[in-house]
Amino acid sequence: MRSLYALRYIYLLVALAGLIVLPMLTSGYVVYLANLLLTFTVMCLGMHLVIGECGQFSLAQAAFYGIGIYASGLCSTHLGWPFPLSMLVSGLVAGVVGLAIGFFALRMRDIYLALATFAFGEAMQWVFLNWKDVTGGPNGLRIAPARLLNWEIISDKDAYPVVLISAMVMIALTILIARSRLGRSFRAVRESEVAAQAMGIDIRGAKLAAFGLSAFFAGVAGGMFALYSTFIHPDSLGFSTTILVLTMVVVGGLGSIGGAVGGAIVFGLISELLRQAPSFQEIAYGLILVLFMMYAPKGLFAFIGETFSRLKHG
Amino acid sequence: MADPILTVENLTIAFGGLVAVRDFSMQIERGTIHALIGPNGAGKSTTFNAISRFYTPTSGRVVYEGRDITRLPSHAIAGLGIARSFQNLELFNELTVLENILIGAHVHCGGSLSEMLEAQPASVMARIDEIIERTDLKSYRDTKARNLDFGHQKLLELARALAIRPKLLLLDEPAAGLRNREIAALDELLSDLCRRDGLTILLVEHVMQLVMSISHTVTVLNFGTKIAEGKPAEVRANPQVIEAYLGKETALHG
Repeated sequence: MRSLYALRYIYLLVALAGLIVLPMLTSGYVVYLANLLLTFTVMCLGMHLVIGECGQFSLAQAAFYGIGIYASGLCSTHLGWPFPLSMLVSGLVAGVVGLAIGFFALRMRDIYLALATFAFGEAMQWVFLNWKDVTGGPNGLRIAPARLLNWEIISDKDAYPVVLISAMVMIALTILIARSRLGRSFRAVRESEVAAQAMGIDIRGAKLAAFGLSAFFAGVAGGMFALYSTFIHPDSLGFSTTILVLTMVVVGGLGSIGGAVGGAIVFGLISELLRQAPSFQEIAYGLILVLFMMYAPKGLFAFIGETFSRLKHG
Repeated sequence: MADPILTVENLTIAFGGLVAVRDFSMQIERGTIHALIGPNGAGKSTTFNAISRFYTPTSGRVVYEGRDITRLPSHAIAGLGIARSFQNLELFNELTVLENILIGAHVHCGGSLSEMLEAQPASVMARIDEIIERTDLKSYRDTKARNLDFGHQKLLELARALAIRPKLLLLDEPAAGLRNREIAALDELLSDLCRRDGLTILLVEHVMQLVMSISHTVTVLNFGTKIAEGKPAEVRANPQVIEAYLGKETALHG
């Protein structure tokens, strides 16, 4: 058992080493793709906290992501703030908006909660499209290069180390939350609300914390996007992005951090391949989501593991 | 009646037009096992849920250690030292035995930042190991709750409640569905918790063998009102109880 854990650490180290040397070996496109996948990883971690750990639906992740992108873009473009600060601000602004929405939406549960958060997501996209003074409306917003002191990020390769470190920090934060008292209270709420209350857990507070944290994560992901992107348009902040993140989390396996990260990477690559056929893309997402829910509800990695052990043991 | 830990005063609970409990009063003495019995629909579980703050009574008060808890939010009473179990098992099914019990210790994990962040805070683990030992769950520590057999699931409910470190333990039919051997073990464990740990236990139970064996006081409800109260032997001999509640005397001796 212990050697198995050691092996897992070795895999992790190899993967990390690969990620570190990646930009030295490859072209600009691969680095861009890596940035994007790491950004989606952070979105997936947020989705994992609220749905996987706490069992509450949030279908407004794209809206919080958008809030993060605009907040970060505006901070660096108009205020000239250094990027670590604008990234933090993008997370906090999204988190605060998330708490405010959660305060009202969490009076509902299940499908009603899903619908309420969906409605908020749609409303935010409308805000992005029409609040022209701030977001540039349908013309989109040009984002000035991110800066820190004299260092300017002008390419995907420049941004990559920052994106990688941010993703690692957010993964570590997710692990820390999941194993803490707060994470236990999330899972208690997911498993049985009445029992959670009897154990002294304020279930409304726990749900609100999960909701706010997931919005914070999506906001930070937005801040990461703003590092390597020069432009943002509301079209990419709609419901399809939320569904993409949800699909990633389901494909990876609901309820496990590794699943959320793995799902983001595997499904992110699939969706990038499907970019050649945009009209087919959404159908494919839906199909994959349905197939996984039917045949591999625990996600890709659990499915592979179970299949292997079945083959091994006859 | 020297030192009541819990006093129920003139409790009335109505659901719409249906009065489930009417003007019910009772005192639970500190350090005793107090059983609340009655035929199905007598209002036992309703009373139980009002004491554990899952129902809010229409009128009347519940006073715990001199403090009115009638209107506290349901998550606030664990911190006061009141734990409860559930009649139809409310375990955290997809979590392990250890994690279930750790969540039971939720109110004791908030003392410091390190305690809040640790997966298994040292300050609560010693106590949890002891609970696991005493409830016979040692070999199931890392088993998911839903994979336990029914008897051990019942024990896990109890173990999780004990992790709250309660002064008052509210048990809703802990013996329901258990085998005779398991009931005997439960009898011993509950008596031990009362005698050795000084725990006060309120027991709602249909299994008379357990009630008559371990209770210091028995309160009998019928149609939402109290019809008798006293030592098990007194209640057993009460003609009103025999007639209104049990129908036939033999059941009490069973």
